[in-house]
Amino acid sequence: MKYNPVTTDVITELIAIVGEKNVILDPERMEAYSHDETPSAQYGRMPEVVVTPVNTSQIAEIMKLANKRLVPVTPRGAGSGLSGGAIPQYGGIVLSVEKMNRILEIDYKNMMVVLEPGVVTNEVNELIAKDGLFFAGYPMSLESCYIGGNIAENAGGGRAVKYGVTGRYIMGLEVVLPTGEILELGGKRVKDVTGYDLKQLFIGSEGTLGIITKAIIKLLPLPKQKVDLLVLFKDVQTAIDLVPEIMTKGRVVPTSIEFMDKLSVQTSCAYLNEQLPYQEAGAMLLIEVDGNHEQQVEEDAEIIGELCYRHGALEVYVADNYTTQERVWSVRRNIAEAFKVYSPHQSLEDVVLPIAEIPNLMPYIEEISQKYGIKIPVYGHAGDGNLHLTLVKNPESTMEEWYETEDKALREVYMIAKKLGGTISGEHGIGSKRNKYLDLVCSPEELRIMKALKQVFDPNGIMNPGKIFPT
Amino acid sequence: MKIIVMIKQVPETSEVKMDEHSGTMVREGVESIINPLDLYAIETGIKLKEEYGGQVIAITMGPPKAEKALREALAMGCDEGVLISGKEFAGSDTVATAYVLAQAVKAVGGYDLVLAGERATDGDTGQVGPGVAALLNLPLSTYTSGIVNIDNNKITVERLIEEGYEVLELPLPALLTVVKEISFPRLPTLRGKQRAKKQELQFWTGKSLDLDIGKLGLKGSPTRVVKIEHPKVLRQGKICRVTDEETLVEALDSLEKFLSEKKLIAKEGKV
Repeated sequence: MKYNPVTTDVITELIAIVGEKNVILDPERMEAYSHDETPSAQYGRMPEVVVTPVNTSQIAEIMKLANKRLVPVTPRGAGSGLSGGAIPQYGGIVLSVEKMNRILEIDYKNMMVVLEPGVVTNEVNELIAKDGLFFAGYPMSLESCYIGGNIAENAGGGRAVKYGVTGRYIMGLEVVLPTGEILELGGKRVKDVTGYDLKQLFIGSEGTLGIITKAIIKLLPLPKQKVDLLVLFKDVQTAIDLVPEIMTKGRVVPTSIEFMDKLSVQTSCAYLNEQLPYQEAGAMLLIEVDGNHEQQVEEDAEIIGELCYRHGALEVYVADNYTTQERVWSVRRNIAEAFKVYSPHQSLEDVVLPIAEIPNLMPYIEEISQKYGIKIPVYGHAGDGNLHLTLVKNPESTMEEWYETEDKALREVYMIAKKLGGTISGEHGIGSKRNKYLDLVCSPEELRIMKALKQVFDPNGIMNPGKIFPT
Repeated sequence: MKIIVMIKQVPETSEVKMDEHSGTMVREGVESIINPLDLYAIETGIKLKEEYGGQVIAITMGPPKAEKALREALAMGCDEGVLISGKEFAGSDTVATAYVLAQAVKAVGGYDLVLAGERATDGDTGQVGPGVAALLNLPLSTYTSGIVNIDNNKITVERLIEEGYEVLELPLPALLTVVKEISFPRLPTLRGKQRAKKQELQFWTGKSLDLDIGKLGLKGSPTRVVKIEHPKVLRQGKICRVTDEETLVEALDSLEKFLSEKKLIAKEGKV
């Protein structure tokens, strides 16, 4: 696909639509819009112009203009993505929703909120906590990410074992199509089988079908109590083996079962100047249970804790108040950040498998790590079968060697995931980071249908090009 | 070694709300936790016990629900818990609290070391630890950041001071208030929690301690909150739009006026 550059004419028209103060041309300021949380040297691309519209009709006008002029448009939330979704692969216009950040309605009777896409996810939860409500589908980056990005990527997170991912809570969307039409999909209806569920197509569409300009989101009653268990195991396999049993034998559905290997805990602790007793432990599980009654929650935690002891846990620590819970979760939350400080050249992966297959993955990872001479720390949402194994560049290798190793090792990791009934991304998305690997797990027929769908929404291919599909 | 750790339970939130009339903290509806800085004192006590043997006794003065904080201390590894509770203690300031705790420490008796956190995160005074030391006539090290050695009935500690560290040698028994640098508090284990849940606590009152009622609670507290004020942020910016020469002059004039009003420059533009 050949795109046209952003000419002074286009800029004049953009200024006419959104006003001068909502058009960014200064390269220094635009730099911030050229990358997300993927390594910028590898995936970053500069936009030609950044626009920050303030309402839906401005977005519709921008899309009409871009569609007419054949200029690519990349929608952008907070830029905390991990697959390059918000990066302007072919330059053009970056459309940031940062100024559309109003909470439009809190509907207590229907237990729903109506949000603009630029609302920071955690702001909603902070606002409604006093009313005993919460939005349960949030990712780990909740303090910075935007709800629009969460929906576009169908973000997961640390509570998915019990509460599922973002998509489960999206009741309705307002979207602007690449051709400029405004669509209202879904609504405040719990059930709806009126034709195809088009709303669902936009959840996880990675900004390739249109721009989300409004979302209706389902809330849940906020559980009053929670207890966390930090469980130490002698090695990775013992810890991972236990994960499927927590639910099958313990008969308790925790909110999270997070896994961290020794290297992950060590790196994060060093970064935070924290000390957890990791020296003697090869791996840890962080398990959270929640509920409304203190006694019930304590009992659930005890059942799981005893199960851990019986299965060879070295120690089970209990965090049942804010201080201790913050300590253990902060170690988990900061792993990705800590590895970035430790080594900027890495590939943060997101494979997902049937939960029962998780133990079978580990020996392969160890094999690949040895074969290519790279470190592969593993952490992530073990309870969802979703692991963030991270391929870290060997400091002695050149960048060329690393890119080659990365590609080969990734292909092996992905093929093993596929063999075990899994796939290449559970919550981070395909974007520009994994698009060349999509055909490893999607059949040609599946890809044909996806491309045909894309064509229906975006006939000129201007909407976030270079993402999802192998190019 | 017999070590006594004095702990306090504080509201779980970082936003402490004050009652404008009584001048005391609003504790209703807020979950209580062990004062985060006291965790470092508990850890220090348990570590010393692990090294030198002996026992660690946690004591706290507070409402009945402070039992939870005490059980958390037991779960971490303290051997015994003492809760001093009763209506007579309500409204105690740091003087009254130090008096009660000093009497309780005396009642425990036979101790080698008394530990406390540097201060509580709610009241933020840091007075109770030193107060207890004064009342019991114990040698005191505040802001203790490390224990160097215990030998021959003497303890050598390092304490954080503005210019760096100071090394002190104190005869035992002594009282130390500790800062975060001294340790990494351990998390309670499930086994510890289970043990702590079943363990008997000691409940003491003003009467059982044979305390002077006049020195307790609001009437035993010389501290009076006269007024509570919230600092207000009064800073605000002013934006001057400059599009041509005329507006530039206007902008400069208003800047000059502002600066001279604030007495930052002399009148008539002399800097």
